Amino acid sequence: MGDLKSETLSFEDKSVTLVSVKNGEAAIGVCSAGYTGMGGTGAVSKVFFIGGEAIMNIACPNHNHKQSSKLMCFSPGYKGYDQKIYNVLNVCFSRLVAGEPAFAALKDLLNLLQDGVYTLYVSDYYPTDGAGNFFWGAYNVSHEVHGTADRNRVIGNSVYKPCFLIPSQPLDYYTSKMKVQADERVKGRDIQGIAYHISGFHSILLKGHHGAVACAEADIPFRCLVIEKVCEPYTDPVVLPDPDPVPAPTAEEEAAAESDEAQVQQQAQVPQTAAQPITPPVFVPEGITGFRSASLKLPIETIPKEMLKLILEGRSEYKPRQFNALLAKMNAPRRKAVSNNVLPLTVLEKAEKMPDVEMLESAFAISSISDEQLNCLLAGDVECNGEVIVSPNFYQSIVTACNYLQFTDPKRFVDFTIAIMDNPELSATHEYVSSRALCFGSNKKLFRFFSDALASGDAKYDKILPAANKFASRYKEK
Amino acid sequence: MAFCDLPPVTVIDDKAGMTYILGETFAVYNATPEPPVVYDWNSVKFVSVTRKEFKITAGSRTFAFRTGLFKSIDETLRAIAIIEVRQRDYGFDYVHERRMFPLKSMYREMSAGKECYIGEGTLDEGETAASFITLLNFKLMKFLWLVAFLIMFVTAAILHWKIGLTRDNVLYFIPISIASGGIIALLVYIITHIVARIRFKQLRDADMAASGMITFVVCRAGFAACASCVYESRDLIPWSEMDYFVESDKMFIIYKNNAPAAYIPKKAFEKKTVNSVADIIALSLEQR
Repeated sequence: MGDLKSETLSFEDKSVTLVSVKNGEAAIGVCSAGYTGMGGTGAVSKVFFIGGEAIMNIACPNHNHKQSSKLMCFSPGYKGYDQKIYNVLNVCFSRLVAGEPAFAALKDLLNLLQDGVYTLYVSDYYPTDGAGNFFWGAYNVSHEVHGTADRNRVIGNSVYKPCFLIPSQPLDYYTSKMKVQADERVKGRDIQGIAYHISGFHSILLKGHHGAVACAEADIPFRCLVIEKVCEPYTDPVVLPDPDPVPAPTAEEEAAAESDEAQVQQQAQVPQTAAQPITPPVFVPEGITGFRSASLKLPIETIPKEMLKLILEGRSEYKPRQFNALLAKMNAPRRKAVSNNVLPLTVLEKAEKMPDVEMLESAFAISSISDEQLNCLLAGDVECNGEVIVSPNFYQSIVTACNYLQFTDPKRFVDFTIAIMDNPELSATHEYVSSRALCFGSNKKLFRFFSDALASGDAKYDKILPAANKFASRYKEK
Repeated sequence: MAFCDLPPVTVIDDKAGMTYILGETFAVYNATPEPPVVYDWNSVKFVSVTRKEFKITAGSRTFAFRTGLFKSIDETLRAIAIIEVRQRDYGFDYVHERRMFPLKSMYREMSAGKECYIGEGTLDEGETAASFITLLNFKLMKFLWLVAFLIMFVTAAILHWKIGLTRDNVLYFIPISIASGGIIALLVYIITHIVARIRFKQLRDADMAASGMITFVVCRAGFAACASCVYESRDLIPWSEMDYFVESDKMFIIYKNNAPAAYIPKKAFEKKTVNSVADIIALSLEQR
């Protein structure tokens, strides 16, 4: 049995559960499997494993560049992980459902992990791959999974909650009989599954596959207990407070200054250059600020001593003893490419409508957007009151604002998209915005707008016509 | 990433009250109870590794610690491997002494394939020095012949100028000239041998890995010649990284940029596989 310790930290008005695993069995985790294709392609391959089974083959392009999305595929040699691990997952999940605290419930499971420091938390997951496909069976063929990059270009250095799933069992394991049982069980549970964060927005579902199907069908939030490794160093620059702030001028001083300025301007022979905007002084501290995972940033001084030592003297991922067996399974020919088991159609349809990676990126990239800022964007400006709203790039600003509103405020989203599509000067964004609007297939306002656009025959609607046709036909079908 | 599984190394400097941890980050514990200063390798600017000390410049500070502070030679070699792997990824300036084996930054983790020969052994001083000398001979042979002939002609000319060449003494002059040419050439040869041996000893002393067990791998994808205590089974240098090789009776010497990059002794492999190893190397690199 490994050495497990748990600490609950409180900082920045939140409570964080940290767990350290020392001398763990390393039966569950990710490890590097070298370069694919003799090193010529520049894609580093990794594997997520459970016991002696390779579960997910992960190709990290561009020499494992942190901002590159990964290619993922369910490992073709999968034959089912051993009974011991299966039992541990069942027991831990039962304890969790029974209401035991996370650390106590998951002790046996934590013992199976690689050494390191993990955070445990509960979070809602969308049972999709982040592109509208139901997660179970979405990884049969190797493809680039958007949102799996270690560092998200849109979100930057901020933290975010992973919320998309990867299965740890192939779709062959789905049975309608189990699903019927899960339908009943999910109604009485607070936590529906156990997930292990793997990369970016995506976590591997260790337990609760049938529950995910049942939850998606019954519109029950799929709440998972997430295990996330904290090992990536990060550095946050510190914005120093202004040491000598200029006091705000009084009304009299302002009036005097204005008259003086007018006189000076009249007398001036040489035109003055515009005043430079004052940027707050930024101090980059010596060394890193702390260690982070996707959803958590831990400054060094907040990490308990023993855990910090474990991070510093540990490795983010390493090969298990059974690595050679994993390698053989990674490259084995697929026994069964496509499952005969069929997921309920309603589940697949609902998965299509769930938020996707782009929406989540935008939702985590900006904290709020006001109506004034939206009006500035509609006027073609990327700045509002001298501040960049989202990004200096106008197209990116529109995309991010759209996605953010779609995720957080559907009503404002509809108004904003209609305003954009009605503005011929913003035609560069029409195609994208209209495609996003398709997700609101039952919205009356959008239907009316699209119908009018189709009927008018106006050239300014040229770019939205395909989406308008699709929307109108879907709406009428319903 | 090659050598990605190497466990971090901790160095404790009791005199200075400092502890250093070289791993996925570079951490420095001061004597004070404050948390350590941890540097991302991205903020490391310069690293120098000599037989005497390690010097690391990170952020605005430079840290130096004696090589003797490592608990064992294996830990020293592991620390060097960690630094070299990070150097490839982060591109900081790296100064090191001469090496008998390639830097870890040249390795890549990849599959060795089916035809793979693995050997292990130490680098025998006599054999390696002999190979050094063979190489030297290879380079010096023409020069030595030239020296011998020149000395012969010069000796003959001096004898003719001083004594005068006649029918009576010509039979003495020829062997004297040939002998003097041969003796001088032999002296040059002996001196260069001594120099070669001294240079080999210097090189061996500079590379800490040379005295320990070395793992040698030769396969179609590439090769490896690395201290066994740090070697991970799938780390190879692609053949495309190297230029050519020279084969002596005792070893293969692989060259990059006209300098020997790796010495692979034949005796490290099983006798029956040496020909196959030679075939793979000959197929992958030009022989000179």
